Amino acid sequence: MDAQVGDLELRLLLEAVYVRYQHDFRHYAKASLRRRVRQAMDRFECPTVSRLQERVLHDADAFAGMLQYFTVQVSEMFRDPAYFLAIREKVVPVLATYPFVKIWVAGCSYGEEALSFAILLHEEGLLERSLIYATDINPEALRVAQAGVYALDRIAGFSTAYLRAGGKSSLADYYTAAYGNAVFERRLRGQIAYSDHSLATDNVFSEVELVSCRNVLIYFDRELQSRAIGLFHDALPPRGFLGIGSKESLRFSPHGDAFEEFERVERIYRKR
Amino acid sequence: MNMTGQPDPHSMDRPHRRSTALLPPGTLAGLLVAAVAALLVAIVSAQSSDSRAVTVRQLTHIVQVIDQAQQVVTTMKDAESGQRGFLLTGDTAYLEPYTAARSRYASELQELRALLPSDPQQRQRIDQLTELATAKFAELEESIALHRAGKADEALALVRSDRGKVIMDRFRVIATELERDERARFDARRAAWEAEAGTQRVVTWGGTAILLVLILGAGVLASRDYRLRERMSWIRTGENLLSSRLQGEQRLEGLGERVLSFLAHYLGAKVGAVYVHGDGEYYRRVAGHGLDATTLAEHMRPGEGLLGQAAKEGRSIRLTDVPEGYLPISSALGKAKPRELLVAPAIVDGEVHGVIELGLPRRVDDADQELLDRVTETLAIAIRSARERERREELLDETQRQAEELQAQQEELRVSNEELEEQGRALRESQARLEDQHSELEATNTQLEEQTQRLERQKRELVHAQEAISKNAEALERTNRYKSEFLANMSHELRTPLNSSLILAKLLADNAPGNMDDEQVRYARTIHASNNDLLTLINDILDLSKIEAGQVEIAAEPVNVEELLAQLRATFEPVAEHKKVELRIERALNAPATITTDRQRLQQVLRNLLSNALKFTDRGEVSMRVAQGRDGQVAFSVSDTGIGIPPEQQEVIFEAFRQADGTTSRKYGGTGLGLSISRELARLLGGQIRLESAPGKGSTFTLEIPVHHSKGTHRAVAVAPAAPMTAQAPRPANKPRAAVPHIEDDRNERSNPERLILVVEDDPHFARVLYDLAHELQFDCVHSTSGLEAIELARRLKPSGILLDVGLPDESGLTVLERIKRDPAIRHIPVHMVSVEDHTQAAMGMGAVGYALKPVAREDLVKAMRRLESRLQKRASKVLVVEDDQVLRDNIALLLAGDAVEITTVGTVKEALAKIGAEAFDCLVTDLQLPDASGYELLESLAADGRHAMLPVIIYTGRALTRDEEVRLRRYSKSIIIKGARSPERLLDEVTLFLHRVEANLSEDKRDILRRVRQRDEVFEGRKILLAEDDVRNIFALSRVLEPLGAQMEIARNGQEAVDRTRKGDIDLVLMDIMMPVKDGLTAIREIRARPDVEKLPIIAITAKAMADDRRQCIEAGANDYIAKPIDIDQLVSLCRVWMPK
Repeated sequence: MDAQVGDLELRLLLEAVYVRYQHDFRHYAKASLRRRVRQAMDRFECPTVSRLQERVLHDADAFAGMLQYFTVQVSEMFRDPAYFLAIREKVVPVLATYPFVKIWVAGCSYGEEALSFAILLHEEGLLERSLIYATDINPEALRVAQAGVYALDRIAGFSTAYLRAGGKSSLADYYTAAYGNAVFERRLRGQIAYSDHSLATDNVFSEVELVSCRNVLIYFDRELQSRAIGLFHDALPPRGFLGIGSKESLRFSPHGDAFEEFERVERIYRKR
Repeated sequence: MNMTGQPDPHSMDRPHRRSTALLPPGTLAGLLVAAVAALLVAIVSAQSSDSRAVTVRQLTHIVQVIDQAQQVVTTMKDAESGQRGFLLTGDTAYLEPYTAARSRYASELQELRALLPSDPQQRQRIDQLTELATAKFAELEESIALHRAGKADEALALVRSDRGKVIMDRFRVIATELERDERARFDARRAAWEAEAGTQRVVTWGGTAILLVLILGAGVLASRDYRLRERMSWIRTGENLLSSRLQGEQRLEGLGERVLSFLAHYLGAKVGAVYVHGDGEYYRRVAGHGLDATTLAEHMRPGEGLLGQAAKEGRSIRLTDVPEGYLPISSALGKAKPRELLVAPAIVDGEVHGVIELGLPRRVDDADQELLDRVTETLAIAIRSARERERREELLDETQRQAEELQAQQEELRVSNEELEEQGRALRESQARLEDQHSELEATNTQLEEQTQRLERQKRELVHAQEAISKNAEALERTNRYKSEFLANMSHELRTPLNSSLILAKLLADNAPGNMDDEQVRYARTIHASNNDLLTLINDILDLSKIEAGQVEIAAEPVNVEELLAQLRATFEPVAEHKKVELRIERALNAPATITTDRQRLQQVLRNLLSNALKFTDRGEVSMRVAQGRDGQVAFSVSDTGIGIPPEQQEVIFEAFRQADGTTSRKYGGTGLGLSISRELARLLGGQIRLESAPGKGSTFTLEIPVHHSKGTHRAVAVAPAAPMTAQAPRPANKPRAAVPHIEDDRNERSNPERLILVVEDDPHFARVLYDLAHELQFDCVHSTSGLEAIELARRLKPSGILLDVGLPDESGLTVLERIKRDPAIRHIPVHMVSVEDHTQAAMGMGAVGYALKPVAREDLVKAMRRLESRLQKRASKVLVVEDDQVLRDNIALLLAGDAVEITTVGTVKEALAKIGAEAFDCLVTDLQLPDASGYELLESLAADGRHAMLPVIIYTGRALTRDEEVRLRRYSKSIIIKGARSPERLLDEVTLFLHRVEANLSEDKRDILRRVRQRDEVFEGRKILLAEDDVRNIFALSRVLEPLGAQMEIARNGQEAVDRTRKGDIDLVLMDIMMPVKDGLTAIREIRARPDVEKLPIIAITAKAMADDRRQCIEAGANDYIAKPIDIDQLVSLCRVWMPK
C-alpha cells in the first residue's frame, strides 16, 4: 500500500515537474529515481514526496537544487581509456575523411568527456575542423563545463587515463594549475558548443558524425532509451558512429538493427 | 623608517601582579620634595614672622623710649619755658606749662625708666636725667620762688647764672645720648629685621620656586600621563571597534573590507589594500579601499615590492616620500597621491598572515603606527581563524563532495547493475520465449511432417491439376492474344481490301462512263453502303480496342455548346424527318455556354446516343437536352420514346458485341459496339453515362462530363447500369487530419508475390483508382493512409515501389520519404510522389524517382507505375569519376566496380563536361583540383546548366577545406570526402548510397522539374535570405529548397557571423538556428533586435527544442516566428512567405 502511494507520489512529482519546469523525468529508470528523490527529501527535509513536490512547485530555487539530485553527475576525463583509444585508432581515421567533423557528447555533465574529445582531436590534427556539441539538461553542470576548471586533485587521475587512452604528450600541456585548480586551455573549449538539450523532449539539432552518450542511457527506461537512440540515429549520417557506456546495449532497442557493432567491447556502433 | 612590532617574547611569561602602590615612585618622590619644601617655607616664614614681631615690638619699644625721652625733654623745656615766661612776665599764667611739666616729669621719667631695658648705661642715663631734672626743677623752683618772692632779679640772676642752662644742656645731652643710643639700637634692630626679612624672602622665594618647579614637573608628568592615556584609549577604542566590527565576519574578503573601511575611517586613510596569504607562495588581495584596481596587483609574492618586503621581513614599513603613481587614490574625480604610506604585516605567532597597506594624506604619527601594529595582530588572528574556518569548510565541502561523488558513483553502479539485471531479465525472458517456441516448434514439426506428407500427396495432385489449368490458361491467354492480334490484324487486313473495294464501288455507283443501267448502279450503291457499314464496324472494333488499350488521347479545347448542338441538328434532322420522328435538341438556361473538353470525342458519343435513339424509335420523339449536371458537370440527356430496355438487359447493352436481344441487331442493324465505345469515351472525358429505361416506354441516356476537362478526372469505375452510376471522380487529396481506414487491398491475398505497389494516400477514392490501375498493370496493391503505417508496411512487405501522397494525416509525405531513404532496409524501394502540392524539388532532392501533380492523368499514373517497375529491373548505374591522377582514377574505378555500376573516368573538367553533355550519369565523383579548372568551376557550370542540377555529386579531395569552402561546396554536394587512410571505404559507402536512389530515366522528369522550378515564386524572387545555421545538412537542404524559388541564400555559420552579416542592411529575412557555436541564436537575435536599423528585419528561429517554453524564449528574444527541427519544408516556405517583407 505504502509502496503504491509512494509510486503515485513519485509519478505526480515527475508530472508536476514536467508541467511546471518542462524537465521530463517521467521516463527515467524508476528504481534510481526513487533513491534520488529520497536523497532530495533528506536534503530538503521533506518527510514525504508530496511535500517535496509542494516545495519544488512553489520555489524555483528548490527545483534547481533538486535537479542536482535528479541528475547523476559522474564523469572523468578519458573515462574508460580503452574507449578513447578505440576512438583514436579506429574512429578518428574515418572522421578525418569528412571536411568538417561534428561530435555530439550527449549528457556531458561537467564537460570532462567533451574536453577529452577536444584534446584527442587536437592531437590527431582534427580539432581545427571539428565542433563538439556538449549537451546536458542540468544548467549548473553546463556552467561548470563551460568554465573548464577542475579540482587539481582530480587531475592526476585524468592524466593516468589520458596516457592509457593513447595520449601523445602530457595532459599538463593543456591546463594551467593554480590555487588548487586546473583550467583547461580556452582554444580547446572554443571548439565546444555547450548547450541545454533534453534527450527526453528535444529533437535532433544537427548532423553529427559521432555521438558519444555514455552512462546516460542507464538512467532511462526502455522507452526513453529508444527515443534517445532514435535521435542519435537521426543525427548521424549513414555510416556515422555511436559510442555508449560499457554497461549499455543497443540490443533491446528498436533501433538496434539500424546499427552494427564496430568495436564490440568498447561499445562503439556504426550506423548501417 | 621606524621599527616596531616585534612582540616582547617574555611579556607573556612574567606574572603580572597588580601594583599596590598608591602612586608611581616618581610622582611620590616629587610629592615628598614638594611637601618638604612647603614645610620648610612654612617654618622659615613662621620663624621670621615671629622674630619680626619681636623686632617690631622692640622697635616700637625703642620708638616709645625715644618718644618718651623726647617727651621728657619737651616736658623739661615746657617747664623751662613756663618759668621763663613767668619770670619775664611774672604772670602766673605762664607758669601753667611749668606746673604741668613739674607734675608730670617724674612720672615721665619713671615711664622712661620702665620703658628702658635693663641696659645699665641707659639706666644710668635715666638716673642722671632724673637727677638733672630734679636739679633743674630745683633751680626753677628757686627762681620762681625768688620771682614770687619778688626777687625777680635774683631770679633772673639765678637764671643768668647758667646753672639752669648747664643742667638743661646736660639734660639735653644725656637725653640726646639716650635717644641716640636708642636710635642706634633701633637701627640695629631694624637692620636685624631687615636681614631677617631678606632671609625670609629668600626662603619664601626659594620654596615657591621649588614648589613651582615641582608643580611644573607634576604638570608635565600629568600631561604626559594624560596624553599617554588618551593615546592608549584611542588605540584601545580602535582595537575594540575593530574587534567588534570583525565579529561575525568569517570571509576573508569581508574581513579585509571591514578592516580597510574601519581604518580608512579611523585613521583617515584615503587608500588601502589588504592582502592575505593564500595557498602557496602568493598573497592575494582580498580588499581594496579607494583603490584603482588596475594599478595594484591581485597577487604578490613575498619580497616583491614594498608589500612583499613587509611580508617577508615581518615588519611594518613607513614610507614618507611616496613615489609617483604608487598606490594612487582613485575616485570618480580622478587620482591623487597619498602623502605617506604605511605597510604592515599581520603577524600572529611569528607567522605573517597578511599585509595591509594604507595611504594617508597626512603625516603618520606613532599612534597611527601603533594602532596599525595592534590592529594588524587582530587582523592576523581574524585572518588565521577565517582561513582555518575556510580550510575547515573546504575540508567539510571536500568531504561532502567526496561523499556526494561517492554517492553518485554508487548510484551509477547501482543503475548500471539494474540496467544489466534488466538486460539479463530481458535475455532470460527472450530465452524462455525461445524455449517455448522451440518446444512448440518441435510439436509443430511433427505435425508438419505429417501434414507435409499429406500435402505432398495433394501437391502432386494439384500439380497435375495446375498443369492442366496452366495449359488451359496458356491456351486462353494465347487465344485472347490471338483474338487481339487477330482483331488488329483483321481490321487492318480487312480495311486494306475494303478501301479499294469502297473506292471501286463508289466509282461504279457514280457510273461515270454511263455504261450501266439503273439496276446496276443500285447494286453498286448497295455494295458501297455495305462496305461503308463494314468499315464503320471495323472502325468501331478498332476504336474500342484502342480505347481499352488506353491509346486514346484526349485533346481538350473550348467547345461552344450551341455550335455543337447546331451541328448535331444538321446531322440528325434529316434522319428524323425521314423516320417521321420529332427531334428536339435544346440547351437549358442553366447549362454552360462553353465547355472545355475533347470536341471530337464528345461529338462521337452524342452522335452515337442520338443515332441509337433514332434507330430504336419508330414514332414519338427523340430529344436531347443539355443541362447543368451534378458537381459542376454538364449533362447531355438523350431521351426517346422507343422500345425501351428491360432492366435485366440494361447491364449488357454496354458490353461489347452484345445487345439487348440477339435479334435486335438484325432488326435494327448496327454493330452493337456504339454504347461500349461511348461508355469508354465518357470515361476518358472524365464523365459517365447513366441509363434510365423501361421497355415500351423509351429510354434516357445521360452523358455527364465535367464542364472543364482536366487530366486525371477520368472515371475509373466501370458504369454499372443497374444501380445509379455514381462513381466519383478522384478529388485532389485534401488533408483530413483524422486517420482514415485503408481500402480493401491485397495485403492478405497476394496474387503477384513479386510485384507489389504500396499506395500511401489518405483519399480512399483516389486510392481505389490507384488500386485498380495497379491491378491493370499486374501489380498487387496495398493501401495505407498514414505515414507510420506505410513505413511499417514497407519494412514488412518490401514492395516493388511506393506511390506516396504528401498530405497525410499523421505526417508529411516528405517526412515519410526522408525516413524511407534513411532506413537501410527499405531505402532501395523506389518512391514516386503524387500530390496536389508541388514539392518536386524537395522530394527529388530526397530521392523520389518522380513527382506527379494532382489532378493527374491516368496515363501519368501508368507512367509512374511503369517507372517504379523499371526501377525493379536493375540496370547499370552510371558513375562519372573526374580525377586527374591516373593511378587514383583507376583505383577508384576498381573500388566502385560492380555488376550494376558502369564507370566512366575522365581527367579534366572539359572532358567531364563533354561526357555529361553527351550522356546521363547517375552520380559524379570529382576531385577539386583538376588540371584545367577547379572542381568548383565544374560544379558551378553544372549547376548553371539546368539539365544537370539534379546530378548527385560526391567530392573526393585531398585538400583540407575551410568552413567557407565547405559551405560553398555544400550547395552542390551532400558528400564531401577528404582523402585519407579510411576514405576509400567511405567513398564506397557514399556511392552505394547514391546509387540506391538514382532514377532509371531522369532526363525528361528533370526537364519537368526545372520547368516548374523556373516558375519562381515572386515573393522570393531576388530576395536575400540569411541562413544562420552550422548544420551543413540543413544548409544543403534549405538552399536547395529556397534558391530555386528565386531567393539568394547567404550563409552564416554562427551567431556572430549572422549579427555581422545583418549590418549591411541588404538582408530581407533571417532564418536563425538557435544552437550554434561561438554565439547562440538567441543572443544573436537579441543583438540584432537591439539595433534600431534592423528592428523590422523578420527573423525566424529554428530550434530542436520542443517545449512551449523554448518557443516563448525565441519570441521573447525577438524572433518573429519559430519552426521546430526537423524542418517541415512546406511549413518553412510558408513561414518565409508570411514574413517576407512585401
